[in-house]
Amino acid sequence: MSDAEQPTETDPDGEFNPSAPNTGEKFEPVDVFPDSDDFDLRPGSDSCYKCSTCDTNCPVAEVDDEFPGPKFQGPEQWRLKQRDDEHEIDDSVMDCSNCMRCDNACPAGVPLSQMHNTARGEYVSEQMDKTSIEYWRNRILSNYRTSAWLASKLPRLANVAMNVTKEREFPEFATETFREWWDKRGAAAGSKERAQAARRERGLPEDADKKVAYFHGCYSNYNTTEVGKAMVRVYEHFGYEVVVPEQKCSGTPMFANGMLDDARRHAEVNVSSMSDLVDQGYDAIASCTSCSMALRQEYPELFDIPGIDDVAANTFESLEYLRIHEDLQGELAEVEVSGDLAEEFAYHAPCHARNQGLERQALELFRDVDGVGIEDVGESCSGISGTYGWKAEKYEKSMEIGEEMFEHMEHAEGDTGMTECPTCAMQMEHGTGYDIRHPLELLEAALVDGRGV
Amino acid sequence: MLTPNGDKMASAPHIAVIGGGSTGIGIARDLSMRGLDVTLVEQGNLTHGTTGRMHGLLHSGGRYAVADQASATECIEENRVLRDIASHCVEMTGGLFVKRPEDTEKYFQEKLAGCEECGIPAEVVSREEARAMEPHLAKDIDKAITVPDGAIDPFRLVVANAASAMEHGARIETHTTVTDLLVEDGEVVGLEVEHDSGSGKRVHGTEGGREEIRADYVVNATGAWAGRIGEMADVDIEVRPSKGVMTIMNVRQVDTVINRCRPKGDADIIVPHETTAILGTTDEEVEDPAEYPEEQWEVDLMIDELKELVPILEEARTIRSFWGVRPLYEPPDVGSDDPTDITRDYFLLDHETRDDLPGMTSIVGGKFTTYRMMGEEISDHVCNQFGIDADCRTADVPLPGSEKFSVLRDYMDEFGLRSPIGRRSVERLGSRADEVLKTTDPNPVVCNCEGVTRAEIQDAIEQSGSDLNAVRIRTRASMGNCQGGFCCHRMANELHGEYDESVARQAWDELLAERWKGQRHALWGEQLSQAMLNYALHATTQNRDNDPADGEPVDFAAFDAGSTPAQSSGEAGVAADGGTEHGD
Repeated sequence: MSDAEQPTETDPDGEFNPSAPNTGEKFEPVDVFPDSDDFDLRPGSDSCYKCSTCDTNCPVAEVDDEFPGPKFQGPEQWRLKQRDDEHEIDDSVMDCSNCMRCDNACPAGVPLSQMHNTARGEYVSEQMDKTSIEYWRNRILSNYRTSAWLASKLPRLANVAMNVTKEREFPEFATETFREWWDKRGAAAGSKERAQAARRERGLPEDADKKVAYFHGCYSNYNTTEVGKAMVRVYEHFGYEVVVPEQKCSGTPMFANGMLDDARRHAEVNVSSMSDLVDQGYDAIASCTSCSMALRQEYPELFDIPGIDDVAANTFESLEYLRIHEDLQGELAEVEVSGDLAEEFAYHAPCHARNQGLERQALELFRDVDGVGIEDVGESCSGISGTYGWKAEKYEKSMEIGEEMFEHMEHAEGDTGMTECPTCAMQMEHGTGYDIRHPLELLEAALVDGRGV
Repeated sequence: MLTPNGDKMASAPHIAVIGGGSTGIGIARDLSMRGLDVTLVEQGNLTHGTTGRMHGLLHSGGRYAVADQASATECIEENRVLRDIASHCVEMTGGLFVKRPEDTEKYFQEKLAGCEECGIPAEVVSREEARAMEPHLAKDIDKAITVPDGAIDPFRLVVANAASAMEHGARIETHTTVTDLLVEDGEVVGLEVEHDSGSGKRVHGTEGGREEIRADYVVNATGAWAGRIGEMADVDIEVRPSKGVMTIMNVRQVDTVINRCRPKGDADIIVPHETTAILGTTDEEVEDPAEYPEEQWEVDLMIDELKELVPILEEARTIRSFWGVRPLYEPPDVGSDDPTDITRDYFLLDHETRDDLPGMTSIVGGKFTTYRMMGEEISDHVCNQFGIDADCRTADVPLPGSEKFSVLRDYMDEFGLRSPIGRRSVERLGSRADEVLKTTDPNPVVCNCEGVTRAEIQDAIEQSGSDLNAVRIRTRASMGNCQGGFCCHRMANELHGEYDESVARQAWDELLAERWKGQRHALWGEQLSQAMLNYALHATTQNRDNDPADGEPVDFAAFDAGSTPAQSSGEAGVAADGGTEHGD
């Protein structure tokens, strides 16, 4: 699409309006595979050599002797299974935390997490008792808005009736959501103006093709709104026009709990609004590594929604994208961080960041920046894996998995943590009492706030 | 022939059956159920010959419905009987005859009419319906005919028949080769055999020996080997062995038997078999049923042809290939040139009427699906020789394992097993599941690919001695995608206790050799990687490339005791290298 055709928010055709994008309501996906949740994944077993590298990399198998591990859950179970309904999924699939480290560990390309997600979906829809507390606890936990709302109103009820651990405190809600802030700030139109101003300052053509659609996810919207704000400010600083389309949960907690119908409903909205934008030359940017993982890998593996492959191919994590397109290193060399964020950071790479090859990005970016230090706390899993560590029966195991990370954080200089994943951040904070920041916040402090320092 | 209180009559004739394939074992069961005294000898394991080398199709008769309607009618009858008496060996998958655009409509109609004439339930389904049943079918097929084909496990079936025969007093001798027929006064009166390792259950290292087995009648059920037995008494049995290749895929691409709907040809069937799919086959006459070339082009042909029906086969993993030899027979005056023209029917050759040699009958030709019917006919024939009037009961009495059972169980509660493992175990064991799997001892999974636990392995060892290939055919252990790479040593380990180290070592070597045999024909892609990984594991962690302990038994006690023999009395001591003694 040439710039001349670029739609504006006052598009007279009413076809596209970035400040009020496609809500997905009019969209009726063509159901190419009516039973697309019933994919036959037996052929995926062909790649497995039984080497068991996945099992030795599974953090749950390490602490849970009852858990048979990813090799059994994936290629072995699928190979033993038949398509008929009588062949049941083993209930141990519910003990997988969906950290997806097995995907990375496998030397042979077995689609392990796809097998686990599909098996779990089948287990939940076909075998799980829909009146059980476990089902409703999982369902509510995996619908973050509902669970967070419920917990903020009735924390004790959540602990007692829902079998959610009472060891953890529910995260605080921001008084103003990110989207409310965004609208007040002038939304897409405001962003466009600021982006154009930044381009002028940088000597770029005012109509440069720099535009991104922000997938903020639930947590940046309701809780850590500072991450969402940092994303907008940093991107505008580099001259990007940001739009914030209609969106639902990425589905990550739903995959982990086998709630594939819920996940699909949300994915349809997300894919619909993102694919419209991708068609118009926007790239999709997520600041949460599990959200970007969902859009990039899990969506096309699990669902068949029109436009899904284009969205997957054009989705990036927020730092990753800037490192590709901008001279971040160069700009950071010119600044010195002062103030709140002039800290020594204990950095933990989330498992889902590892799957996207992003586990070194924050370290490489910040290690030479004046005024800050950053130290990798190792390659272990944090142990929370989204909803896993919230379940009363999984809490101890979650903390046991996290132990190595906590220890390394204690040994690291400074007492501020850093990670891209909101639930890893919860676990880091819970285990050490540290403040946990997102790399975008540091980028903002260094490049936006720190200008002129 | 039982007395009213169920004892065997003292005067029951003794019948020697040669051949431990489906035919021989079916005869042994039938005769022993009728009260006759039976000894069966087999040169290898049960199913060693053609039976263990087939694609596992339980024919509906559909394949013969146009050209050989007599066989087709027998097939559908026996198909129904086996579903009933051998339910734990049978999976009723259903079958499809798939017509591609290049296959003729005329033949499709003939097939449909043929099925109807033979009483085989058959219905036409559209391309869409066929692809809804089997999503991996090619997009450009025309249509298909559904028939009640099924899958059957030949190993399990033969083992269950043997168990039933033994319950009725039969003696079954495996690893026992017939070296001569005893002929006295122009009549066959028994066999001379060579036991590989003593009689009874096979135990490696047990000294073998010759034995004369005198019998009132001899049945030669050696299939492709029938001519060899005939030669021993100077009778000519013109079996025309014909080889066919079968290729095993790692997973089931289809859950229904897929046949190509065309008159005849190579590579026209895919049978879902347990966790795998088996592609077949070819039809080529060979001189010697034990020695014939196994060629790569035959394997390539399977994939090249069958991918037209199921395209995903082209990319799919092959785990091994094997060849079987059909024991085809036709009366010498027919003289077919092409083995595909030779009838699949069976022939009972009474050597008394045919060759003036009383005391022996040979059975040749025939198909696995009709093994029981053949057994019935020859048992009738044998009984006639002795004027015995006893009813055949093999069509009514279920085989051991096929009494009433359900596979819908709570595997974790009942057996402490993960559900897919419990499910597969119960499918294999049928009504014997409780007896075998309910154990208070630890019951780890020994073969992960096929989901086989220690309890099932131990049950098989109890049945078959130290022979791990016999354990394999009973349990499927080592028959999955790693082809024994991760479980052969565990299986050998299960022999410990009952058998000593040198027995376990020989059994292990034999199992590894057998596993390698079929994998040689699948060494590309994933299975080549698997074979390399298996080799590396076996060589570097188990000395399987060159074991210094092969040969003279190793005095392990000398190692356990450390360097000072005086300290081997069980007290903890310090070994010469400064480490503490192992094992305290």
